[in-house]
Amino acid sequence: MTLSVERPRLAAPAEHRRLGYAAAGLAAIAWILTLPPILVRTPLPSIVLGLLAALVGVVVATDPSHRRLGACAAGLGLIAIPLALAMTNQTAANVRIVFTWSAVVASGLTFATPLIFGALGGIISERSGVVNIGLEGMMLMGCYFGIFGADIAHTWLIGAVLGMAAGGLLALVHAYFSIHLRANQVVSGTAVNLLAVGLTGYLFIAQYGDNGTPGTLPQVPNVNLPVVTHVVFFGDAFGHTNLLTWVGLLLVPVVWWFLFRTRAGLRLRAIGEQPLAASTVGLRVMATRYVAVTVSGVFAALGGVYLSDGFDGSFNFNMTDGRGFIALAAVIFGKWNPFGALGAALLFGLSSALAYRLQTFSQTLGTLFLALPYALTLIAVAGLIGRSRPPAASGIPYVKE
Amino acid sequence: MRSRTRIARAGRGLLIPLVTVVLAFIAGGFVVLFTGHDPFSTYGAIFDGTGLNWLFPWVTGTARTTAAFNLQQTLVAATPLILTGLSVAFAFRVGLFNIGAQGQYTVGGVMAVWIGSIFPNMNPVLHIVLAIAAAALMGAAWAAIAGWLRAVVGTHEVLSTIMLNWIAIWVATYLFQAGGPLQSTTEAGNPVSNTIVPSAHLPVIWGNPLLQGLSIGIFISLAAAVAFWAIMNRSTLGYEIRAVGHSPDAARGAGISVARSYAVTMAICGVFAGLAAATDVLGWEFQISTGDLTISQVGFLGIAVALLGRNTAIGTVAAALLFGALETGTSVRALNSNVFNPELASQLTLIIEGLVVLLVSTDLIAVRILGLPAKLGLGRPRAGTALDRGVPDEAATAAAVTEGLEGKLEQGV
Amino acid sequence: MTDQPPVLELREITKRFGPVVANDRVDFDLRAGEVHALLGENGAGKSTLMSVLYGLYSPTSGEILVDGRPVRIDSPNDAIDLGIGMVHQHFMFIPVMTITENIVLGSEPVRTGVGHTLGVLDRRTARDRVRELSDRYGLAVDPDARIEDVSVGMQQRVEILRALYRNARILVLDEPTAVLTAQEITELMGVIQRLKADGTAIIFISHKLGEVLEVADRVTVLRRGRSMGTVPRAGATEQSLARMVVGRDVIFRVEKEEATPGDPILEVEDLHVVDDRGLEAVRGATLTVRAGEIVALAGVDGNGQTELVEAITGIRAPVSGRVRVDGADITGRGVRRATEAGVAHIAQDRHRVGLVLPFTLAENLGLRRYRRPPLSRLGWLNLRSFAERAAGLISAFDVRGGGAETPAYALSGGNQQKVCIAREIDSEPRLLVAHQPTRGLDVGAIEFVHSRLIEQRDAGRGVLLVSLESEEVRSLADRILVIYEGRIVAEFPPEASEEELGIAMTGGTVVGA
Repeated sequence: MTLSVERPRLAAPAEHRRLGYAAAGLAAIAWILTLPPILVRTPLPSIVLGLLAALVGVVVATDPSHRRLGACAAGLGLIAIPLALAMTNQTAANVRIVFTWSAVVASGLTFATPLIFGALGGIISERSGVVNIGLEGMMLMGCYFGIFGADIAHTWLIGAVLGMAAGGLLALVHAYFSIHLRANQVVSGTAVNLLAVGLTGYLFIAQYGDNGTPGTLPQVPNVNLPVVTHVVFFGDAFGHTNLLTWVGLLLVPVVWWFLFRTRAGLRLRAIGEQPLAASTVGLRVMATRYVAVTVSGVFAALGGVYLSDGFDGSFNFNMTDGRGFIALAAVIFGKWNPFGALGAALLFGLSSALAYRLQTFSQTLGTLFLALPYALTLIAVAGLIGRSRPPAASGIPYVKE
Repeated sequence: MRSRTRIARAGRGLLIPLVTVVLAFIAGGFVVLFTGHDPFSTYGAIFDGTGLNWLFPWVTGTARTTAAFNLQQTLVAATPLILTGLSVAFAFRVGLFNIGAQGQYTVGGVMAVWIGSIFPNMNPVLHIVLAIAAAALMGAAWAAIAGWLRAVVGTHEVLSTIMLNWIAIWVATYLFQAGGPLQSTTEAGNPVSNTIVPSAHLPVIWGNPLLQGLSIGIFISLAAAVAFWAIMNRSTLGYEIRAVGHSPDAARGAGISVARSYAVTMAICGVFAGLAAATDVLGWEFQISTGDLTISQVGFLGIAVALLGRNTAIGTVAAALLFGALETGTSVRALNSNVFNPELASQLTLIIEGLVVLLVSTDLIAVRILGLPAKLGLGRPRAGTALDRGVPDEAATAAAVTEGLEGKLEQGV
Repeated sequence: MTDQPPVLELREITKRFGPVVANDRVDFDLRAGEVHALLGENGAGKSTLMSVLYGLYSPTSGEILVDGRPVRIDSPNDAIDLGIGMVHQHFMFIPVMTITENIVLGSEPVRTGVGHTLGVLDRRTARDRVRELSDRYGLAVDPDARIEDVSVGMQQRVEILRALYRNARILVLDEPTAVLTAQEITELMGVIQRLKADGTAIIFISHKLGEVLEVADRVTVLRRGRSMGTVPRAGATEQSLARMVVGRDVIFRVEKEEATPGDPILEVEDLHVVDDRGLEAVRGATLTVRAGEIVALAGVDGNGQTELVEAITGIRAPVSGRVRVDGADITGRGVRRATEAGVAHIAQDRHRVGLVLPFTLAENLGLRRYRRPPLSRLGWLNLRSFAERAAGLISAFDVRGGGAETPAYALSGGNQQKVCIAREIDSEPRLLVAHQPTRGLDVGAIEFVHSRLIEQRDAGRGVLLVSLESEEVRSLADRILVIYEGRIVAEFPPEASEEELGIAMTGGTVVGA
């Protein structure tokens, strides 16, 4: 199963494409104008820019080969206007408080961290040709066993190891069913998610009962950067970031380098694209996929460990709350590239951070903001990233001749 | 010959889900055993909790009253599960995976609660019909977005329905939260919707209307199952949908528009999910709180229900009854907490459901345990083969090999 | 030279698929520095033999010797280790990767030192080696271009380079010219000469007589899985080879009356159609089929037949040109419009397109007509009508092995085809397009299909028969059109000889036609 259907590629005037992207950029500017540091207090320029973006989008949409790009740009232009209106309706002070960029970045990073881990795992699995809808469940395994390990061994390190092992084990189940038994990978992933919710919930109650996890568990520490702490903006944004956030950020180039610069990465990608061709040159399709899926579970679980033992310091039922699915969206949004996925994860993280900050004085606006990343992904996948293409064989069980 | 093969097929069709469920229960029993409980007494207590003991004539007195109440709850829980199960199953039959039943359920619930609460003095029949229709249409519209994206743009429905689920949940949260446009006018500060007015309540047919008695919603579900069967097996639309699900190429060759089939199918799926929300909201919930929106798993459980029910109408009803019973039997209200902690038990339910889906995701049981020939594809849910894109059609491969078609084989090399 | 053992020898290779014998005691040998052609029709067993050599199939019996020593080849890896390289007919590539990546995949150079331990690709060395090999043999490629962006000709050069990169001494070229332009074929011939000079032994698989005579030192002919013998090029002519390829014995003699063609039913004018990859497969085809005649479209596979048929039957919209049926313009109007205009279509792939395999026979037989009474009314199916109609057709067309409620996959190939034919003929078409209607069928089923087609002709319908089998074409057709590279290049009466037809189908010029 691939998450985007192949479409015919049409050669068409590049100007229209550029114009479409320009319109989308214009729509973004329309909103950014009303934010600090520019902080325009009248909606008029934004309305003009938004309408202009919509108009250009419509013009682009008249070109049949760029219909979707144009429609998206137009849509973004129209979305930008109410967003700008919402900002100019608030007092300047409130907007400043919400958009204290250093705090937004710091908070955005915490929201983005589990997504980064999940997305990296998803990329590795899908690049090898196995769709991993079970990221959510693997992340949840990491959540519970991260806490459980930290509790019994009195060190977060054991928690992290145990969490990763549990995520890897669940991934192995998914691998066995989807690779060996050639199950439908989406169905198998769904099952793995259900299993994880039940299993962690069961163990949680059996182990901790109604009291919940102890409040004094050894947590993954923050990294305090003394040099940066006193620098304007950077100090507040990056001075006290969790260790696992740094690990996640570091893993992005590592995974990229692995995929695109090493022999094993080349083979992994080949297997995800054309397993038959890969096997005729002697590559081991099944074994590679097993490893890739297991590693993806380990990565997702590390995101879970961060969520429970890094961020919250506790475990709760189904605490991943859809983050695995958002990580999946980041994989697709980021075109199966680690840096792209990082960008998507940061976008999602930042908008979550903004949403929660907005809630302090406008709860309704904050909630609507929570829906924004999903709407953006839908729009983007439907139109803007028209050429995004999943690994060709992802989702297709490999049948050995 | 004809009737015998039919019976044999139906028999195997029944056997596989049964074996699946039994295996899942055995595995769940081991979980219970390993955590220091007695699986037999646990399952016994869960059984009593489902209210199914009401069917035994020797259960009398207060035990019978309790059993009746529990059985009502089982049926109440099964009602929306049947509908979301049908929603997922319908999509499977055309080869689509509707993960979006949850979102369609959510928007349907919003419509039902809105229509059901704004007309205070309407004719009850009219009001109920109006609210149900609104929920169904809203669900259809929401699902149609995914169908349209798949048909016209090519966006995969798994991705778009996941996104639509979250958009639905957050927009609904926005509507009902404090300060939201549809928040209760009487309970300021509470993040809940208005309450359904009595004229829009579904009549209760069994039990106490004040204590979540069984409403006519169950008949809506059963009628929907009949409609599912009729559309799928007796209408030209269902014929087209099945053809596309089994073989998009053959359907295209016969002049069936594959894109149109996708779009129409998704809209119908949305109708089922929207109806599920209507039966809940108008039948016993009467109000939606923002907390309900994220806790509800009805749409996701529909996936498990559909898969266990092998994507047929009757199978979906049976699977929904099983899941509804499990849910009720392990609920805090119904399960005897002296035997087994109900909170543990509801997690056990999830484990069993997960195992069920895992086991039906492949030919495992049919081929490896029952030893049936793989090429009949009996182990797989009766989904469009298009869903398993890339799985070579075993029947076709087998036929090609026996014919020794060299060209055909070369493609496989 | 004769004292040395051949670099490769196949002895008595037999390969069965179930009851079907694809290779029957085939002998073959190959010497260093020679080109040995393997010639035969589609389905003669050439590709099977090469799959055995490359470790994709294991032979049912027989022996493979390399450098005079018996070897076991269980996988492509074994073949590669023995110095056997394969240029597949359908290229085995990772389309999104670069040419260099595709060539080195599976035996990539890695850096030294720490990079070696980590398995870091040495991309410069990889690129340099590709450059060096491509310079040495004149195989011009752009090492950094992505496979999907380069021409088919360059893709083929990459396949050859990949084999050479793995030090192949024995190179199998499986129908290498089938996908090339004339210019690219000339270049390929040059490459082959250079490889020969370098001592590489080449197996050249083809069914085109001209190029075999041009490039081969020796020719082995396969027919129906058997070797018809090996001849040196010297002394061989197109005529003598064609006779070996086809055999003189014509199995099927179909009894039929003289045709009495009437008005034109199908008129195709200057049709241009592109294939799935966006390449022009039909390049200006013009043809007419009249009532009461069978027009056969003969040609080698992959010359645009599939796309032409799809355009006529409405499955694929053409880029330009006209398709008229009974005067009605149905160009690009879709399958339903074509069906209404009277087009029936026996699809070439009955498993994928012709039938919905899990559907019952009754359901399959309803595929064309389910939208109209009596099969349905107001959108609701009448299952009794389905069953009655199915029962009637099943007995009329003698479908065996199941009834109206049997799923189509349970039937044998011949009976499946009868179901397809029954459905299409029952729609009382004006035009019947039969695309490889006898593919994979046994003799009895073939006779059945043939007599039905003649019946349709005699009933005054137009029949367009697309076939790769020249025997079938000659015995059934009233007129033969030859399609080559998307154009109709010649027309013959049914009395045309195998040789004439064969030469036209392979792009040769026909004397006196």
